Amino acid sequence: MTAPILEARGLTVRFGGLVALDGVDVAVGPGETLGVIGPNGSGKTTFFNALTGLYTPAAGEIVFGGRRVTGLEAHAIARLGIARTFQASRLCLALSVFDNILIGMHARRTTGLADSVVRRSRFRREMGAALARAAHLLALFNGELPGRGFEPVGQLPQIDRRRVEICRALAAGPTLLLLDEPSAGMSPEETAELMRDLQIVRAEMPGLSVIIIEHDMFVIEGVSGRVVAFNYGRKIAEGSFAAVAAHDDVRQAYLGTERARA
Amino acid sequence: MPPLELLLQQALNGVMLGVMYALIAVGFTLFFGVLDVIHFSHGDIFMLGAFAGLSTLLGLAAAGVRAPVAALPLAFVAAILVTGLVGVLAERVCVKPLARSSPLMTLLATLSLGLVIREAVLIFYPRGADPKPFPQLLPQGGFEVAGVSVRYENLVILGIGVGAMLLVDLIINRTKMGAAIRAVAQDPEAAQMMGVNLDRTVDATFFLGSGLAAVGGILSGLYYSEIHFIMGITGGVIGFSSAAIGGLGNVYGAILGGLLFGVLQTTAAALIPRGSEFRDVVAFAVVMLFLIVRPRGILGEKSVERV
Amino acid sequence: MSLLLVWLAEVVVFALVAAGILAERPAALAATGATIVLAGALVRFLAPLRMGLAAGFARHHAAALAGGATLALVLPLTLRASPYWTFVATLALLYVTIGQGLNLQIGTAGVINLAGAAFAGLGGYSVGLLTVTAGWPAWLAVLVAPWIAVTVGAVLFVPILKTRGHYLALVTIAFGFIFNILMNNLEFTGGPQGLKNIPTLRLFGWAFTSKPALAGLELPAHANFYYAALLVAGITTWALRRLHDSWLGLALNTLRDDEIAARCCGVSLTRGKLVAFSIGNFFIGLGGALYAVMVGFVSPPDFDFGYSLVMLSVVIIGGVDSIPGVVLGACLLVPLPERFRFLHEFRLLLYGVAIVVMLLYRPRGLWPAAVRRYR
Repeated sequence: MTAPILEARGLTVRFGGLVALDGVDVAVGPGETLGVIGPNGSGKTTFFNALTGLYTPAAGEIVFGGRRVTGLEAHAIARLGIARTFQASRLCLALSVFDNILIGMHARRTTGLADSVVRRSRFRREMGAALARAAHLLALFNGELPGRGFEPVGQLPQIDRRRVEICRALAAGPTLLLLDEPSAGMSPEETAELMRDLQIVRAEMPGLSVIIIEHDMFVIEGVSGRVVAFNYGRKIAEGSFAAVAAHDDVRQAYLGTERARA
Repeated sequence: MPPLELLLQQALNGVMLGVMYALIAVGFTLFFGVLDVIHFSHGDIFMLGAFAGLSTLLGLAAAGVRAPVAALPLAFVAAILVTGLVGVLAERVCVKPLARSSPLMTLLATLSLGLVIREAVLIFYPRGADPKPFPQLLPQGGFEVAGVSVRYENLVILGIGVGAMLLVDLIINRTKMGAAIRAVAQDPEAAQMMGVNLDRTVDATFFLGSGLAAVGGILSGLYYSEIHFIMGITGGVIGFSSAAIGGLGNVYGAILGGLLFGVLQTTAAALIPRGSEFRDVVAFAVVMLFLIVRPRGILGEKSVERV
Repeated sequence: MSLLLVWLAEVVVFALVAAGILAERPAALAATGATIVLAGALVRFLAPLRMGLAAGFARHHAAALAGGATLALVLPLTLRASPYWTFVATLALLYVTIGQGLNLQIGTAGVINLAGAAFAGLGGYSVGLLTVTAGWPAWLAVLVAPWIAVTVGAVLFVPILKTRGHYLALVTIAFGFIFNILMNNLEFTGGPQGLKNIPTLRLFGWAFTSKPALAGLELPAHANFYYAALLVAGITTWALRRLHDSWLGLALNTLRDDEIAARCCGVSLTRGKLVAFSIGNFFIGLGGALYAVMVGFVSPPDFDFGYSLVMLSVVIIGGVDSIPGVVLGACLLVPLPERFRFLHEFRLLLYGVAIVVMLLYRPRGLWPAAVRRYR
């Protein structure tokens, strides 16, 4: 692999006495899609939360784009180019679709408070461009959505809301995208649409690195190049999907040990 | 440095105040534990309890029942019933319907309900704006111990207060409803799956917490020999602060917080020149500092936010 | 055509309001009341009328504003027989300014400030101290006083802004009490009597105690403050509308609704809440400062907890996070108890009930916030 865009070394996260992540080493290269699997409670989302600065690691470090980012605040890490979606979608349901995407561009804004009040034409120009970008992103997934841009996002169906969340993450023009169980709660048809959506993302931003947590192995197999498996806060396997799926430890984690072999 | 006797005296006063504050604080902490809400009208329910007690006592006196042994318990019962019911009503009207909205809404709704209760007492109680004298029903006189004067009425107040808290402790830890309350506080969904009736448990919690505040209200009346319709604002702030200091959701924390606050107030009043005017300032300032430094409280706040 | 409808509607509202204020005899009052009910019913139940009005106001936005501004400028003429009502109208405008500031904090950013009256008091007392004790001219004191409110707010609350909402609410209540007790007990703030003889505003030689004239007709002296307050309220509303419909408003809304999502989009929690808190306190302090020069004295009861609750009512009943809602809230809640004196005693009780009802059934207020269009 060429120089990784993200490297987590010995990452450890503790909650009181509970060790949620235990010395995890993960690296992602530019343009790569890394799949993360593991049973519930194995530390996958904790891993994301540590990467995005929501949890402070007890030990280990995170290097992003050659920079040590361990312990930085969440908003600082976001500004460096890491964007994410959440397992339970975190959209502001009362706000409009466009509002929910534009907030993703917050870190890249060029006009300030003064411009908003007194140099309004400069501000309007920037907003025009931002709204156009939001509409463009929406249209990639569903041509109807830009027309509904000023509706409250809570009125959209579940699958479109997922797409809005992805657009929010993409709007920032990130170098690394973290997707946390995007197919959660989806029917097989919706999951197929999701796979197409992910391919659209790939096509739109070829240099983008992606880490995707998933329970649906079909999705993981379809989009990831490499896969890592977690269990009890540790990385237990790494490699191609086939290799990881066949790994003994991974099978044990998901299926449990066979009763005493006779 | 004031003499030891003076400090001990203040400490005793502080514990007395602290017990009354604790009675309010426990309510706050119970409501937070069970529903994750700050019930901002709880202070005014404390005030309502005091007024309900006063009304009962005046009514009984008019009917010829003046003996403290008879009148006081009746006053307590009446006040507990009134506040318990109003508390449950408050929860049904302001808290439960907004449970799914943002916590900001519940805060504002209960704050406004407190305003309504306060104004209602001001407007509808005869000459409500004036402080009302509270009948002196407790035995007068006292004795001295190590240079500290201990009054009988303080002992009775302390006794009733501690007794009330022990009763609450008993209810929470030894009864089925108490177990239900604890279960809902820990995990409402799991509790429901185990067969706990959520609505009834929440009602019971509010009745319990509000009733306890009524006890505190009457005790406050007995202690200060007067009550005032605005006593709920300070009472509420102090009660909430005490619960926060001890860690929201933790009943023992609330008791500890109340006692600390009481002792803090009386110590400040003793040590600072012109202390009695500024004792509230000092107490609130310390609370502000405390919340800034350790908002989770001494015994830790129960909080669940999954990312 | 629809433009004429818009202006006609504004004139009708103006006339009804003026009549409602000035009508003395029972017959006139009854006629006004009946007309108001009739007009309301027409708008409510005649769909073409309602749609026509809505479309008209949407299309002729600027002209409607101009019309409203003209009527606001003319109001003191209509009220010139009553200095008292000129005063009430000015007070309503001060509450617009204060309300916009408070709304930015509570409505837009979700920062719960229950010490609005204390921050207004910081503005008012600062003006009092700067003019009476330090001899500053009134106009300078009014310009500087809001910054004192901002500084005190920032210093005291920076550490606590990032903790959970209910703690901030508690701390603001406590602060309000501390402010009141301190003003009551410190020597240099005048104690329970407060500060008296605050000089009036003098701008370019014109003293605000002199009676101005409009269109050749003399107006009560209070009209000076009316126009000053109108200007300030206008600028405040204009500025805060633009801030609301901008990156700041969006970031604050997101912080309010989902803090974690906001942080992961690059919004700094402490900075965001501090900016909202400070800008809000500026305008709240400005309202208090103007009040001080208008009335000429400040005392502790002028800034007690009850007034914080009135300010809160203006924001919630008018419309949380809604710029026009605040204007509506102030213009309703300030004059109504003055007009219906018998209500005055029940004022706070009714506000409390109104807030609870509003939160249960119409949480977005009487005039809900509109979708951001970034125009």
